[in-house]
Amino acid sequence: MKNSTYQLYTERILKVLIFIQKNLDEELSLDAYARVAHFSPYHFHRIFRGMVGESLHEHIRRLRLERAATRLKRTRRSIIEIALEAGYNTHEAFTRAFRALCGCSPSHYRRDRSAAGTPGSSGVHYREDGSFHNLQLRVGGEPMEVRIEHVAPLRVAFVRHVGPYNEVETAWERLCMHLGKDGLLGPGTRFIGICYDDPEVTAPEKIRYDACVTVDPDFVAAGEIGVQTIGGGEYAVTTHLGPYSNLGQTYAKLLGQWLPRSGRELRSEPSLEFYLNAPESTDPEDLITDIYAPLEPAT
Amino acid sequence: MASTEKIDLFKQHKDQYVAAKKPVLVTMDEATYLTITGRGAPGGPEFTDRIGALYGVAFTVKMTRKFAGRQDFAIGKLETQWWLDGDSHDFGRVPRERWNWRLMIRTPPGVAPRELEDAARKLLAKGKAPAAEQVKLESLTEGPCVQMLHVGPYAEEGRTIEAMRTFAESQGLTLHGRHHEIYLSDPRRVPPEKLKTILRLPVRKQEFRREVD
Repeated sequence: MKNSTYQLYTERILKVLIFIQKNLDEELSLDAYARVAHFSPYHFHRIFRGMVGESLHEHIRRLRLERAATRLKRTRRSIIEIALEAGYNTHEAFTRAFRALCGCSPSHYRRDRSAAGTPGSSGVHYREDGSFHNLQLRVGGEPMEVRIEHVAPLRVAFVRHVGPYNEVETAWERLCMHLGKDGLLGPGTRFIGICYDDPEVTAPEKIRYDACVTVDPDFVAAGEIGVQTIGGGEYAVTTHLGPYSNLGQTYAKLLGQWLPRSGRELRSEPSLEFYLNAPESTDPEDLITDIYAPLEPAT
Repeated sequence: MASTEKIDLFKQHKDQYVAAKKPVLVTMDEATYLTITGRGAPGGPEFTDRIGALYGVAFTVKMTRKFAGRQDFAIGKLETQWWLDGDSHDFGRVPRERWNWRLMIRTPPGVAPRELEDAARKLLAKGKAPAAEQVKLESLTEGPCVQMLHVGPYAEEGRTIEAMRTFAESQGLTLHGRHHEIYLSDPRRVPPEKLKTILRLPVRKQEFRREVD
């Protein structure tokens, strides 16, 4: 049964990969890719990154360069024309990116018969016919400690932040100041972050994030401090140790490596981050964050 | 917002919070802490309850100051002094239920007792941290101390303490006073073998018994 869900996830990611190849020149939204294989927009990108081994943007960019490499060899089109098709506006930018991937300049690549093939962190490469022979999604990796936890609904006071992820601190400061001065940050208070958008693929100014603190039923929303109820239901939980800037790696591992083998599906609501210590007085490598990914009820 | 910069005592007193893998000598001048005292096994219900009260008061004092535009400060790491009744230092032989402790958070000297009372009143009014009233403001002057980083379970501090004792004796010093720990890691998720704790043991000149003839 677990094998069959892994198969199912592989098939769904494959659908997305084929869609990407077929629409390599389009600039589509993240949601458009997620819809192709019925992934929730909240989780799609992390599943993609975990299974494919690179972000969606990296993947599209690399495929465009691989296509350019094929065209250098097989067509007589000018290099600047091929550069433009790959999404680069200048010869220099194209050359730099091409060299980084293939190890030589585009003109050298075109001349040298022995130059061929491109390495990649994923086994998925561009093919002219759009086929996927020897598809190699990332396998295994080291095992991950994941527990399934039932979370009762939590009533939280929150401040919404829209903007770069590394500026969420300001929302936390306002929230904690307003609650703290009234004696509302006591033992048992939980500090929770809700990140609606993946910082790896969303424009910084559009990232939505709620800084949340658990409150009693009698707490009343006021001004920029809102109240909402979050959680409720089963979650897959794993602990991330270290700086917040590396959370993306743990998300990718949980959703792209553990989840496809778990036999479980995700609910279409954002994951939660429970912060166990305060960044103000903790070295970044000692920060502890529990990541909660919402699960559909087990079948 | 306050124009004054936030105080971070941990950074300001880097020399006092050295986490060296070998024993070093440090001098502790007078330092102010928010404290709460108790007795019982580390990690037991009373211990956990008092930690909550201490942090509750620390947060409330800090945020009240911040809201009023007064000097803000970073809440430091949790520290604990341990001692046994009488003169004993043999923690191995005394049941953990009879260990005495003082939980402490380093605090800028400008914080006044009135701010603590105010914080405790607010927390109690919200039904939080019943022990908040027991949090005190205390000054300690530990003087010369040997300090060393212990990595591993708390129960294995013995070998680190031995290294510290040997070092102290090589300097003509002897250990005395209360065993002091500064917690760099959080035992809730960090595996025991990776826990980092600074141990601080006050020392004084070894007393030689003069041969009287």
